[in-house]
Amino acid sequence: MRRVRTLGTLLLILALATATGCWNRRELNDLAIVTALGVDKAERGFHVSVQVVDPSEVAARSSGGSFSPVTTYDATGDTMAEAIRRMTTVTPRKLYFAHLRLFVIGEALAREGMGNSLDLLSRDQEGRTDFYIVVAKGHKAFDVLRILTPMERIPASKMHSSLQVSERAWAPTVSVQLDDLITEVVAKGIQPALTGITIKGDPNFGRELQNLRTPDTPTRLQYQGIAVFRSDKLIGWLNESESKGFSDITNRLNSTMVEIQCPEGGKLAVEVIRSKSKMEGSVKNGKPEVVVTMRSEANVADVECHMHITGRNSLEEIEKRAEETMRLNAEQAVAKAKKLGTDVFGFGEEIHRSSPKYWSRVQNEWDQIFKELTVSFQVDMKIRRIGTVGESFLDEMKE
Amino acid sequence: MSRMGSWKRSSARQDGLDGNDAEETPRPLSASLKDNLDTIREVLGGSDDIVIRPIRLSGGVAAAVVFTEGLASEQLVAEFILDRAMTDDADQETERTGNGAKEIVSELERHILAVGELEFVHVFKSLFHALLSGNTIVLLDGLDHAIAAGTKGWKDRGVTETNTESVIRGSREAFSETLRTNTALIRRRIKSPRLRLETRRIGRETQTDVSIMFMQGIANDKIVEEVRKRLDNIDIDGILESGYIEELIQDETFTPFPTVYNTERPDVIAAELLEGKVAILVDGTPFVLIVPAVFVSFLHAAEDYYHRADISTLIRLLRYVGIFIALYFPSLYVAITTFHQEMLPTQLLISLAAQREGIPFPAFIEAFMMEVAFEILKEAGLRMPRTIGPAVSIVGTLVIGQAAVEAGIVSAAMVIVVSTTAISSFVFPAYSMANAIRMLRFPLMGLAASFGLFGIILGSFAIVLHLTSLRTFGVPYLTPFAPMKLEDQKDAIFRLPHWMMTRRPSLMTGPNNKRQQPAKAAKPKPDK
Repeated sequence: MRRVRTLGTLLLILALATATGCWNRRELNDLAIVTALGVDKAERGFHVSVQVVDPSEVAARSSGGSFSPVTTYDATGDTMAEAIRRMTTVTPRKLYFAHLRLFVIGEALAREGMGNSLDLLSRDQEGRTDFYIVVAKGHKAFDVLRILTPMERIPASKMHSSLQVSERAWAPTVSVQLDDLITEVVAKGIQPALTGITIKGDPNFGRELQNLRTPDTPTRLQYQGIAVFRSDKLIGWLNESESKGFSDITNRLNSTMVEIQCPEGGKLAVEVIRSKSKMEGSVKNGKPEVVVTMRSEANVADVECHMHITGRNSLEEIEKRAEETMRLNAEQAVAKAKKLGTDVFGFGEEIHRSSPKYWSRVQNEWDQIFKELTVSFQVDMKIRRIGTVGESFLDEMKE
Repeated sequence: MSRMGSWKRSSARQDGLDGNDAEETPRPLSASLKDNLDTIREVLGGSDDIVIRPIRLSGGVAAAVVFTEGLASEQLVAEFILDRAMTDDADQETERTGNGAKEIVSELERHILAVGELEFVHVFKSLFHALLSGNTIVLLDGLDHAIAAGTKGWKDRGVTETNTESVIRGSREAFSETLRTNTALIRRRIKSPRLRLETRRIGRETQTDVSIMFMQGIANDKIVEEVRKRLDNIDIDGILESGYIEELIQDETFTPFPTVYNTERPDVIAAELLEGKVAILVDGTPFVLIVPAVFVSFLHAAEDYYHRADISTLIRLLRYVGIFIALYFPSLYVAITTFHQEMLPTQLLISLAAQREGIPFPAFIEAFMMEVAFEILKEAGLRMPRTIGPAVSIVGTLVIGQAAVEAGIVSAAMVIVVSTTAISSFVFPAYSMANAIRMLRFPLMGLAASFGLFGIILGSFAIVLHLTSLRTFGVPYLTPFAPMKLEDQKDAIFRLPHWMMTRRPSLMTGPNNKRQQPAKAAKPKPDK
């Protein structure tokens, strides 16, 4: 009898499991997978836009081809959360943010202060922090989200991997994730810097599938420049060489091409393959100083002049000139940052590390003191290889 | 014909006896030949295959030879009994010794009947048992006991190849349905005098011969005693297969996991006997039982010991992976795609989402339907005639699966999941364990569909708890993992080379557990 009772209770409990309906269940076709999120300034609050994947268009096998691989929705709201919920009036399914790849902040909003838009993403349980944050340069974020890209069907994925690759291989872009950004917004010794994304060509044409039908894709998304912030407000942009310098100083530089002038005219490109930078701060006579040591190794990649590169001193000459170029980039970057009055490099953090007492006195006026900061560079480059050919054939070319 | 006999526990033995009293009660034979023959005819109801051959021995003593056609070897009966008893020589012999029945029977026993086994029966119960086992009964008028001469010989399948447990390397012999053939196959492999054989008759109507074999001094005496006790405790009307015995002596009925191992291969039995286990042979089936059987026994194959150690270890590891896949793959798929989509890489998520567009059923229903369909196909494949069997099962799986995907009823990923699961469930050498995994897969799917990964973990907890609480004949089921014995790990997941395995598994043996010489000496090396 006891056996029957225990079995009966067990069955009842099992039946309960089915009666409650598995409350958290979400089938894959109930999700709207958001790959990119864009936020712009609106009259009151935010204009939020999302780029949602259409899975059947993107799938490996039988892709449709005649419809767009992504769909964008947008809505306005006083807060981010309100705007996103208001979007449910147009989305057929509930938005799913766990696979977000890109977060685009419109320039106008960035200038006013983008801090308010960050809290939702960091607080949401479903949200992860592995997406990149960029600033839309010269366009609204909404427009950026609507451009279709060739080869990679989901534009957000393309921009995500493009940012990763260009940071590693070209340098004047930085990949910033949410937790780093929030740290930099809050900390007194470093200011945020975000890569800028811009649209090359006609934005309206880029929204059509026609954009993808010709090999040269008239409208493209491109990364350009680095946006420099003070706290959460955008105050300026770094150009390409300044961006390279920035990358170098902040130890983000991995590999890039450095161009030098040959002694007899013409240019030579050197490929940096490894790079490591260190900052050392100190306070001398009440004045802060930072020494940045940048060490790199490089290969000779492209000889477009008549320089004799296999001679005994030629490599040293090349090294010297390359070091000069890199130093110039770095100095330009620091000069621009000083002009704008933000320490994006983290020199303040370095001073904090090396002279905490001094830092505790000046931390609140760091942005001013930064303008007077003495920054000196020690650049050291070593050429390792010159490729698979010795002297350039240009020397022997017939005139 | 119903195979499930009715059976009552031993406490109810006193009542409800059906069948002839004459059969049950130990009624002695009468001295009158006619009475005995009448009793035999009456009890057996005049069955046609019982042959009663009256003969006359010298001095006019009437006698009868009774045997069962088909069970007794006609040749043996004719050559060694009838021929011998009816010759003139026989007459002369008996004339010399006198004409009394007692003298004749003693003469028969000593000189005339040239069969290997010869016994006297005094009561009808033994007479019928001997007669119906294929022996020949010789009855003399005026004698109150009879001779039972060993003349067993019936058509038997012979020692053929096993088709449930084939190997690439190793003996191909399998047991047959005759008990004596099977015991002989084992004796051929273990020629030690310490190999013991004890036979019982179990089953009220079937009187099936059931033997146990074990190695005296190696097997744990307590376990052997327990086996004897449990076998003696069985009171059922028929034992038709070793599966009946298995169910009647196993420790736990309400568990999906088997606690008794069964095999068709003599070399496996021999190996297990050498490790101290007890084998139970049942007449009428080639499947021999081994007790006690723990979890790892079901994951060992005979071939593991015949191939080299390194590949055997890897294949064993593969089997563990196979268990994991067979048990968890559908549940994990359902759980992750319905509750934990953040665990998937984005590209995979998009592919899966694309496949699920337009599928009307939730993932769990899809999985359940496909699993049931596969189980049906599997079962059907077992019983199909050999000519169309393979074709239909290939057609079934490929075409139906493909057609279902194209019709948009199930997603392609689900077909892949289900077929991978089905294939990996064949990786088990032991069918009984594969069945356990099959059964457990479904509740786990249900849990996964209701509670996601949390549900799977709950289910796994329950399974592990259950496994650790199981015991078989006193030995914990998860030996050698659960009472962790470092020594015994040599043969659990890994298969270390033979020269390293110097001791027998500890929980099942008695004090004598040294198998061989110490490892260093065992490894042959050329002379320096």
